[in-house]
Amino acid sequence: MADPLAGNGALQVQLHAERFDPLVVLADWQRSLAAGGTEPAAAEAHFIGRVRGITAAGAPLEALELEHYPGMTEAQIARLAADCAQRHGLRAVRVDHRVGRVLPGDTIVLVAVSADRRGPAQRGGQELLEALKHEAPFWKREWSGGVGSWVAGNTAY
Amino acid sequence: MTASVNTTVITVRLFAALKEQAGWAERRLELPAGAPAPTPAHLWRQLGLGETLPAQVRVAVNQVFASAHQPLAPGAEVAFLPPISGG
Repeated sequence: MADPLAGNGALQVQLHAERFDPLVVLADWQRSLAAGGTEPAAAEAHFIGRVRGITAAGAPLEALELEHYPGMTEAQIARLAADCAQRHGLRAVRVDHRVGRVLPGDTIVLVAVSADRRGPAQRGGQELLEALKHEAPFWKREWSGGVGSWVAGNTAY
Repeated sequence: MTASVNTTVITVRLFAALKEQAGWAERRLELPAGAPAPTPAHLWRQLGLGETLPAQVRVAVNQVFASAHQPLAPGAEVAFLPPISGG
C-alpha cells in the first residue's frame, strides 16, 4: 500500500540536543504545510510532553538524561509514523524529541498530526505517541541527589 | 581498522544500562571467513554479556528490530537494546 506520508514534507522528524519551543515548532510546521499550496487539513491533534520535577520514586528530579541510537531512532520514528498514518489516514506528521540532558519543565516530546477529521487525528496522534514510548529507541536516566538511575521501561499511560 | 580478506567483521553495540554494565559501547569482531554465521544470541554469550539473552533485551540488526536467532551477515551491525523509555 502507498505510504500516505510519502509527499514532500508530510513526515517531519527532528531530534533536539538543546531545549526547543514546541509552539515555535508547530508554527513552522503549519507554515511549511501551507507553503505547499494545499488547503489546511480540517483536523490537527498536538501533544506536548514535559519533564516532571519528581522521579518515579517520588524524589526531586534534577534532570533527565536521554540516550538514543543515532540513525535507528530517527528511522524507527519514521516507520512508526508511516504505519500510524496508514491505519488512521493521517495527512501529515511532525515529531520532535529531546536527547541529552533535559531539565524539569522542559519539553521532551511533541507529536503533531493532521487528518480530515478529529477522530483519526486524535486516535492517530495518541497511537503514535504510545508507539514512540515503547518502540523508538530512547532511554531515560533520572538524576536525583547527584545519582543517575536508568528508568526500566515506561508507565502504561 | 580493515579486516583482512580471510575475516568478516561484525559490529556489536550496547546502549544505556547495558553499556554501563558491560563497560563498553561498541566492539568490532573479526570472524574467520567461512565460519558458520553467528546469531545475536551467540554473540551475547561469546562476549560474556550473559548465558542467555534476557527476554527484556531487544535486538536490532542494521538498525532494524530483529530476531536474536537470525544468522548475521558479514558487515552487520548488531545492537542489544535495554527496555525502551522514550517520550
